[in-house]
Amino acid sequence: MALRIAIDTGGTFTDVIALDEETGDQFAIKTPSTPADPSLGLLAGIDEVLDAAGAARTEIGQILHGTTTATNAVLEHKFEGLGLLVTEGFRHLIEIARQSVPDGYGNSFFWVKPRRLVPLHLVREAAGRMRHDGSELVPLDEESVVAAADELVALGVDRFAVCLLHAYANPAHENRVGTLLAERHPDIHVSLSSVVLPEYREYERAMTTLIDVMVKPYCKTYLGHAERSIRERSGAVPFLIMQSNGGIVTSAKAAEKPVTMLVSGPAGGVLGATHMARLADRRNVLTLDVGGTSTDVSLVRNLTPQLTSHATIENYPVKSPMLDIETVGTGGGSLAWIDDYGALKVGPRSAGADPGPICYRRGGTEPTVTDAGLALGRLPEALIGGGLKLDADAARAAYEELGRKLEIAPEEAAAGVLEIASANQVHGIRRVTTTRGLDPGDYAMVAFGGAGGLFAAEVADFLGIATAVVPPNPGNLSAFGLHVSDVKRDYVRTCVRQQSSHDPDELEALWSALEDAGRDEIAAEGVARGAIDLVRSADVRYVGEGHEVPVPIPPGTAGTDAVETMWRDFHRVHESTFGFHYEGRQDVEVVSLRVQAVGRVHRPEIRPLESGGGEAAPVANRRVYWRDGGWIDCGIWRRGDLGVGAALAGPAIVEEYGSTTVVPDSWQLTVDGYGNLILEKSS
Amino acid sequence: MSKPRKEARQLGPVELEIITGTIRSAELEIEAAVERTSRSPMIRDQHDYRVALFDARGRKLTGRSYSALVEPVFEYFGEDDIHPGDVFFWNDPYNSSGGIGHIPDLCSTLPIFHEGRLIGFSQVFGHHDDVGGSVPGSLPVHAEDMWTEGLVIPPIKLYERGKVNEAAFRIVERNSRLSEHLRGDLDAEIGAAMLGSRRVVALAERYGADTLEAAFDAMIENCAEAIRRELLPRIADGVYAWEDYVENDGVDAPRLHAMRVTMTKTADRILLDFTGTDREAKGPINWAIDYSDGKFVRKWMGPVLRSLASSPERAAEIDMNEGVLDVIDVKFPEKGTLVTPNFGKATGMRFFILLRSLGIFAALLSKATGGQMPADHETIRIWGLHGGASNRDFFLFREVLGGGGPGRPWADGSDVVHIVPNSRNLPAEFSETRYPVMVEKLGLARDSGGAGFRRGGFGYDKRIRTLQSCRLLSNADRALVNTYGVNGGRPGSTYSIAVEDGGGELRDIAGMADNIEVPEGATVRIRTTGGGGWGDPLLREPDLVAYDVECGLVSEDSAAEEYGVVLNMAGTRPEVDEAATDTRRMELRAKRGALPMFDRGPYVEAARAAGRLDWPEGWQDPDAGWWAETAAEAAE
Repeated sequence: MALRIAIDTGGTFTDVIALDEETGDQFAIKTPSTPADPSLGLLAGIDEVLDAAGAARTEIGQILHGTTTATNAVLEHKFEGLGLLVTEGFRHLIEIARQSVPDGYGNSFFWVKPRRLVPLHLVREAAGRMRHDGSELVPLDEESVVAAADELVALGVDRFAVCLLHAYANPAHENRVGTLLAERHPDIHVSLSSVVLPEYREYERAMTTLIDVMVKPYCKTYLGHAERSIRERSGAVPFLIMQSNGGIVTSAKAAEKPVTMLVSGPAGGVLGATHMARLADRRNVLTLDVGGTSTDVSLVRNLTPQLTSHATIENYPVKSPMLDIETVGTGGGSLAWIDDYGALKVGPRSAGADPGPICYRRGGTEPTVTDAGLALGRLPEALIGGGLKLDADAARAAYEELGRKLEIAPEEAAAGVLEIASANQVHGIRRVTTTRGLDPGDYAMVAFGGAGGLFAAEVADFLGIATAVVPPNPGNLSAFGLHVSDVKRDYVRTCVRQQSSHDPDELEALWSALEDAGRDEIAAEGVARGAIDLVRSADVRYVGEGHEVPVPIPPGTAGTDAVETMWRDFHRVHESTFGFHYEGRQDVEVVSLRVQAVGRVHRPEIRPLESGGGEAAPVANRRVYWRDGGWIDCGIWRRGDLGVGAALAGPAIVEEYGSTTVVPDSWQLTVDGYGNLILEKSS
Repeated sequence: MSKPRKEARQLGPVELEIITGTIRSAELEIEAAVERTSRSPMIRDQHDYRVALFDARGRKLTGRSYSALVEPVFEYFGEDDIHPGDVFFWNDPYNSSGGIGHIPDLCSTLPIFHEGRLIGFSQVFGHHDDVGGSVPGSLPVHAEDMWTEGLVIPPIKLYERGKVNEAAFRIVERNSRLSEHLRGDLDAEIGAAMLGSRRVVALAERYGADTLEAAFDAMIENCAEAIRRELLPRIADGVYAWEDYVENDGVDAPRLHAMRVTMTKTADRILLDFTGTDREAKGPINWAIDYSDGKFVRKWMGPVLRSLASSPERAAEIDMNEGVLDVIDVKFPEKGTLVTPNFGKATGMRFFILLRSLGIFAALLSKATGGQMPADHETIRIWGLHGGASNRDFFLFREVLGGGGPGRPWADGSDVVHIVPNSRNLPAEFSETRYPVMVEKLGLARDSGGAGFRRGGFGYDKRIRTLQSCRLLSNADRALVNTYGVNGGRPGSTYSIAVEDGGGELRDIAGMADNIEVPEGATVRIRTTGGGGWGDPLLREPDLVAYDVECGLVSEDSAAEEYGVVLNMAGTRPEVDEAATDTRRMELRAKRGALPMFDRGPYVEAARAAGRLDWPEGWQDPDAGWWAETAAEAAE
């Protein structure tokens, strides 16, 4: 037996799915997370899933890990010990930031600048200067570096970010700083901006480098501990980490550059959803991952999750390639409340896991989204597969109270809360679609997470989406997604050249160098060279534009042909992104060259289900409330009873362990060959 | 139990919450679309554009941006000449109902229809790089009429029922030195406004146009109600007067051009009367706002009230839409003043007085709240370099730089803030790649923030080296008059710009300057304004002063002179000498008189002392007799 074990560590729970590579059998468990040292929960999860599979520690073939721990470290503001070294003249770089005051006009009167990652007394300057073309203007003053480092270490700095001007064009000064620091202060952690993010825009690069070095000790420690324990118990088992870009790398690589792990956890969900979309024969989908406190949405085009490099965590920009995931502060545990002016609000405050919704009877007193689902009959009073018995009376009482305050019927209040929560999710989906120039109506939806099935049809209705897919085991799709990932690393080099004056051989040489680095690093992780794909792209703009568009270079285009293709295709990409182009009228410039190196690894095969056994009878009937239909008697189905090809018409409810799928009136449901529930709007 | 319902829903709390949220989300979508698709750094990075959604009557629904008005559409075309697919377009400061203040702001307005019924408007206007006129950038500091400032466009249709008016487009493009940017930006703005329209149509389809209209009424009423309930009760009823100045109109020798406002606060309304404001200026500092009952300026000034909210977080939540008009009234003097200029007077630098209006309103509220409002800050000025031998290699490197934010009871001023939301400065690595410049320093200006119990934020200290000979422009006020301090707080420092030529000579440039020759290899030094301080500096916690000194933001001298904090600088970090500090503070208190409510700094003090301040009939020095509320505490 060879088990692949995937562990998705969240803030509260750790989900584990083991997959038997020979039989295709899956085993899933859930165990509490251990934020102080996430390796403890991780190791416990491995043992628990081995128990469930009846396997020994020596039967593990591979371990995959996705995590939100890096993000949580940032959110918990663990800033102590950070120091920053910048170019002479730029000490106030992060105090100034981009001079932005968020949101509204006149906010500069009252807005208070948030705390910086590094207080100013822990920022030092180094003399020396590079030009934007990578040539050296002033040599590095090594004495100023050493003096700065000594002072900062004396002040308690143990994590050191280095961001020198134009280091993306020539890292020589930063490399030298790295060497000096390693010699003089071997115990401190250092991140160089030219390694973390070799792209122009000094503020964003400095911030990304700071975030990287900030989470480095934490990630290094717990990943190292996990790796050692795994080796002791199970031998030389590959231990691979999901990165924000949707690819996996070895834990050692991940710990070197932990900024690439920031949305590791949600990335697993997107990959899982992409995989199920492929099986369900949908190439363009929106993913909707509805958890307890928030909802993650993202866009998948042509079975490719979309990347962004403009993410922020709280107010802090992080420009590392990551899946374009938008988080909305509404989930199953979100609270419904009335503001001082009588307006009904949902979230962003949440009852969380503790105390949880009122119906959990763990001390929650404010009505949540989950309580609304229960009060309306959309969620069951007892969860299938045992576990919690929910207190529907308490949920109804809470909505009696809310409705009384709003002077509307209690069920209207509860249904309204679900509709507002859906609308909040819709706003998030618009941020990844219409704000990118895309129409969500052109996409299908894959809904998962514990409450994905509760919202799928209602959110789809808002957006004109005609099809929603609820995959099997929607509660642990993020862990499942770890099983279907490739090894992936991104390489970038900023190099601003104009089409009218560029040297194609120079650009080609830079691109080839990135490819060589990618090929070598992926091969070093044990991937056969024949299974490595190198995908080129470039960030290009018209001269004078402040922002670039990514231009993909088709596979197989190499040499200066690739450079030619980049110039030519840019106009087409600009047209499809922005709706216009200036081909032949304006000069074009490339800003950054990129290579994504992908090592294709063995993926477990997800086998189709046995067909037949399709039709089933409802296990019960229940009155369910709908805003457009009132109380209607609805059939309640067990998901496990619905075989391949089963079909039913809404209104109906499908229940399974840990999740419930709502099929409203005017929607119908079928089950496809892989067990996906396919919800379709009746025409 | 409730009845099944198939018809459009009546407005209830659920519909109102969703419609409100969707309008807010649509506003963000329009902004994102502008940024995604526009061309010029002024729009993309510096965010100098506004978006807004309006109801069918032209009432503003969105709160982030102040926006222009829709009134010119009604006024120039009338209800019978508004059709689906129309795009109304203008920049004429004297034919825009007061909504457009200067010529670079080209405004596009689209009507929104649902089933043949007009249900609203979607609007975007941007500050464009160049719309012609006598100097690159279209903000000539010496302009004496608006025709010098660029191409003036009265309200026209740029699209008629979906068909583009190509001739108009060509004229507009032909009149710009940067026509590529201009066309790209206009396409982006119109496309983005269309996106906003679709969101409003979708709401009408889902909830019905009548429900939507009722929701819009409620959103506007909710704004007015929030102001009445949370903000007005904090302002003492009464009549208050204040004034502030624009110091240089670019044409006459520098002198103080006063904007004067009398505020009458009653239980549920505020009247702002601009009578007493100085005569219109020859140069481009006029602001034509006496149109359409002053709707524009009422909506522009209203957001200042939010500083009276229970917390900064709550302040940010209060959406300022058309509801402001239910609370704020205005009264204008006769034609011919700075705020009621005669047709054709130049207005390019109207942002000076536009910012003064906010500072004056804040000071009036300080008078009426015992000094609980933020101090002054100056948040917009433009400087730049342009050059090139021909139109082909012409470049315009232009930065809109913020200044230090105001000290306020709850916090020190934020550093280098810009009033335009989400505006971004130009990264040095961008500027150096794109323009023939080298950024030698990007810093905060030491001692620029006004001292105070809560000090003002710091302005910029930037140094830029030129790599080829070029010409410099500066459009800045507050180069002579400081940002004022409040309630015992000290004024922030002024703006300055100077050129250090090869030989080390330092050449001071006036705040208002055009076409100043700068040789290759020179360094331009720019210091922007600090924010005014709030409250008595001698009450500031000494540790905070020591920390500012440690960071190099406050000098040791300033610590001793302004704050009375004596530091021991012998160790690795400055330490407060508590005994010496107590003594020093006692001495300083003994020396000084009562603390004024407003401290405008040396330039105005000197003018006052020399008797150069004078007032029209019915006015007197508005600072006289107003003392800091903390003065008594300070004396103890």
